[in-house]
Amino acid sequence: MTLRGWLRFVGVLVLVAVVQVGVLDGITVAGAHPDLFLLVAVVCGLAAGPQLGSVMAFVSGLVADLFVPTPYGLSALCFVLVAFAVGLAAGLPGGRAPYSFKVVTALLGSIGGTLLYAGLETLLGQPHLDLGATLVICLVVAVGNAILVIPTAALVTWAVTAGSSGSSRDLASLAGGSATSR
Amino acid sequence: MATTRRNTSQRLTLVILLLASVTVITLDYRGTASHDIGSIRNAARDMISPVQRALSAALHPIGDFFSGAVNYGSAVSENARLQEEIGALRRQVLENAQAEHQLQQVLAEEHLPFVQNIPTELAEVLSGSSSNFELTFEINRGTSNGVGVGMPVVAGAGLVGTVISAGHVTSMVRLLTDPASAVGVRLGTGNSVAVAVGQGSGDPLRLEYVTASMSPRIGQRVYTSGLMGADSYPSGIPVGYISSVGPAGGSLTRTVLVQPFASFTNTQYVAVMQWLPPA
Repeated sequence: MTLRGWLRFVGVLVLVAVVQVGVLDGITVAGAHPDLFLLVAVVCGLAAGPQLGSVMAFVSGLVADLFVPTPYGLSALCFVLVAFAVGLAAGLPGGRAPYSFKVVTALLGSIGGTLLYAGLETLLGQPHLDLGATLVICLVVAVGNAILVIPTAALVTWAVTAGSSGSSRDLASLAGGSATSR
Repeated sequence: MATTRRNTSQRLTLVILLLASVTVITLDYRGTASHDIGSIRNAARDMISPVQRALSAALHPIGDFFSGAVNYGSAVSENARLQEEIGALRRQVLENAQAEHQLQQVLAEEHLPFVQNIPTELAEVLSGSSSNFELTFEINRGTSNGVGVGMPVVAGAGLVGTVISAGHVTSMVRLLTDPASAVGVRLGTGNSVAVAVGQGSGDPLRLEYVTASMSPRIGQRVYTSGLMGADSYPSGIPVGYISSVGPAGGSLTRTVLVQPFASFTNTQYVAVMQWLPPA
């Protein structure tokens, strides 16, 4: 990824922080809300593959950790694993997967990421919620992130493809594309 | 060959990132760099707070709309319950006026430390927690307003939580219901003390160390004990009322649940009590 791409990615993270802290944190269902930073990690794996995706997810995790009281680096650790797993599972960097694939990946990645985060927290000796509450959080995060995956994928793909031949393509096509574009 | 090299490179990147993450966690967790990291976190929250405040003001009605739509059923039953409570509270206000007068006289004579003598700083809630696993919220008051880590936060009805991190212009408050929260409490006006522990969003607090010999009653009020050990608070802050008492049976302790007085949903203003636990 080019320097311009990284600058774009930093801009995306700033936007994500503002939307998460300023908007999404205030809209809760059953005490939980979508986790946009986790979604960025999922989308990084999807759009940039396991290697670059996990590096981007690491940066995303460090930014996310600024806004939570848990040990610093916990989100980064979790996001790296999520992005790597999603990157390997997706197997097609470039962000040209169809909408349905992105939505399913966001659902599964969010559930996996939330459970992984809860598990890592418990491993670190942090007080934890019971299984029922954790599953409710998983459900809310998964559904919320699935709704937000298309615009988030567009933004991350815009950053990943900066300076490459794909950068001039229309954002909308990068966000979703179709089966034929694969 | 190329695939093998790519796989090795991917794994190497993963291992490096995992090691980097674990190193950062260790540095923060063991306290080596936690002060610096705390400063960076506070600075980040301070930087984002103007945008957060503007968004909060603009989008609050939208958030209320969605919350109202999602929680309509519970809002109706809560409304009925609140109507009953208003009637009871009106009667209680009349009774309390006389008791308050007498109490002020006693306090003036005995110089007892009491909650109402502690200065408070009114604060607006900017946003909830960014993490689904930590029950916290952000307020628009920080060290520049005299807010510090460890200060109790109250709302009209009672204790809400405690300040766990204070930036220059914003602070983070951990709610009573957070699983990491533990408050030393006194049951009613007696000498029975216990610790109220959070169980998560929407769930009542669980009282620990309630022995079989204690006799907690449903509806009995619970106040901060002022005892140190758990999170420290001045004594006498209303925490909640006992909503469930399990049978002692053959065990040494009872299962007792406490419904907090303070509402944690859609709380817009709180007061930070400028009281710090003794060093």
